[in-house]
Amino acid sequence: MEERLESKEGSRMRKTAMSALGTFGRNLGLTLYALFALFPLVWMVICSLKSDAEMYNTVFRFTPTLTNYTAVLLGTDYFKAFFQNLAVAGGAVILTILAGVPAAYALARYDFKKKEDLAFQILSFKFAPEILVILPIFIIFQRIGLYDTYFGLIWVYQLITMPLVIWVVRGYFEEISVEVEQAAQLDGYKWFDVFFNILVPLIKPGLVASGLLAFIFAWNSFTFPLVLSGFKIQTMTITSLRYIASDTVHYGQVAVASLVAVSPEIIACLFIQKHLVRGLSFGAVKG
Amino acid sequence: MAQLKLKGVYKRYDNAERSFFRKAAQNDFAVKNLSFACEDGEFVGILGPSGCGKTTTLRMVAGLEEITAGDIYIGETRINDLLPKDRNIGLAFEDYALYPPLTVYENLAFNMRAQKKSDAEVKKAIDYVAPLLKVEDLLGMKPPALSGGQKQRVNIARAIVRRPGLLLLDEPLSHLDGKMRQQLRHEIKRMHHEIKCTTIIVTHDQMEAMSLADRIVIMKDGDLQQMGAPIEVYDNPVNAFVAGFIGEPPMNLLSSVIVRGDGGWLFTFPDSDLRVEVPQRYHDVVSDGMRVTLGVRPVDVMVANIRQRAARLLSRSTKIWETRGESA
Repeated sequence: MEERLESKEGSRMRKTAMSALGTFGRNLGLTLYALFALFPLVWMVICSLKSDAEMYNTVFRFTPTLTNYTAVLLGTDYFKAFFQNLAVAGGAVILTILAGVPAAYALARYDFKKKEDLAFQILSFKFAPEILVILPIFIIFQRIGLYDTYFGLIWVYQLITMPLVIWVVRGYFEEISVEVEQAAQLDGYKWFDVFFNILVPLIKPGLVASGLLAFIFAWNSFTFPLVLSGFKIQTMTITSLRYIASDTVHYGQVAVASLVAVSPEIIACLFIQKHLVRGLSFGAVKG
Repeated sequence: MAQLKLKGVYKRYDNAERSFFRKAAQNDFAVKNLSFACEDGEFVGILGPSGCGKTTTLRMVAGLEEITAGDIYIGETRINDLLPKDRNIGLAFEDYALYPPLTVYENLAFNMRAQKKSDAEVKKAIDYVAPLLKVEDLLGMKPPALSGGQKQRVNIARAIVRRPGLLLLDEPLSHLDGKMRQQLRHEIKRMHHEIKCTTIIVTHDQMEAMSLADRIVIMKDGDLQQMGAPIEVYDNPVNAFVAGFIGEPPMNLLSSVIVRGDGGWLFTFPDSDLRVEVPQRYHDVVSDGMRVTLGVRPVDVMVANIRQRAARLLSRSTKIWETRGESA
């Protein structure tokens, strides 16, 4: 009996050892992957701290300097670009939610002719490469006076943000039983009350996740602001190019500009990562 | 408290394929010329196979479906054009349809909040209803955390907390397993005794209808087949459908020819020398050579003492054998 107990103990110890080894292996793998994934960011930070003279020196030993930061952040109107970028990307997402959520509701709830065709058409806006449509849009925008305006960019950004939000939120609406709305109707509520009290809390995970993803896509957009704006309105993605001069490329300054540009995304992702994954993979809305 | 009266009610669903250029073929009527009445405080079961129009009927009463033709009255009021909220009804949905973001307490209170009732009134109403359906321990929870049986209790509690004139239950037990089903059936019965509200239950399960309802409406393909007390439809079905539908295991329906025997009228059967006496009450309506369908309830069949004959009969006719404990 005792022997058997001992052998049991032994096997448990072996198991503990195995699982400890497994944990170690998993952590090692994850660390290696993290190094791989974070390396470009680290490289960018290093570049931002180097002077132009040391830029092509691949050894990690260098004298850190903040000249790039002062040049970009204080010497140019980079902050203006930051806030302009925030305005167009944020405006685009707000417009998308105002128009896209009702559209998603209609696509989920009502039966009308060619419904699926329409839904697919909306999705197909994301298929077309931006460069394909940019020239006609450029000409039209110049004619109707939308070139280099906030609204022009916000409008054209709908191509990026709208399909995403509509498709994710539509899935959420479809998960909610129609009977929930009918129950509220019997309880004496107007559709409007039902929508805000019952439906909005249910679609919130999907709305937040897709809205943030849409914001990131809009924030990163390069082609549209490159062609459709440039004087009054400059997004950060475009402004970063300014440090590539005709004679020399200030890689250090480009690195600083990029770091500032990605910082909101990194912060946002750290905070919302959990919601992002859950929000985009549905679930937990059934009553 | 209220009476419910349906007068010649029809329902036809619009065909979704209809377009501006091409008028699609019209759907059949889901409910055809349906008329019946429920007395004040009565418990009525609408029973029928899937797709017979029973849920459609319920939804028309609730105001969630338009009435194609006919009139529905609650008391003396014609409710065809009333909004669902003005009909003073409580409806327990088949799929529960609770409000997931709200706690059970707020689910129950939702209707009274719309009527701007005070917190004290709301609490009083919920304190009365919660023990009736044994949901008092669930009040702080949210619907996604509840089991199926719990959700259904909350669903029914939500329907009665407003003290409706008419309570509608749409297949309340169909998603529950056997034991839970029986338990909740008792509770529904008890609750009805307690609040004495006119109640309509829609179900495809005859046990539910027979045990709960004072009267049963049997429907098939949108038509009313028979309405009556459970024992009445069981003993005196008006047609072969009702006869075959009510009773578990189902009634045996045998085609038979009436002949005049020595001692009276007899049922005879093709391919068999079995003879069965025609009961006295049918003597006025039968004639020699008449073709009829004889319905025999399995519980009324006894294995007789004449062994050989029974064995011969059984060996010829037994095709399926179900073990059912005391009844086989």
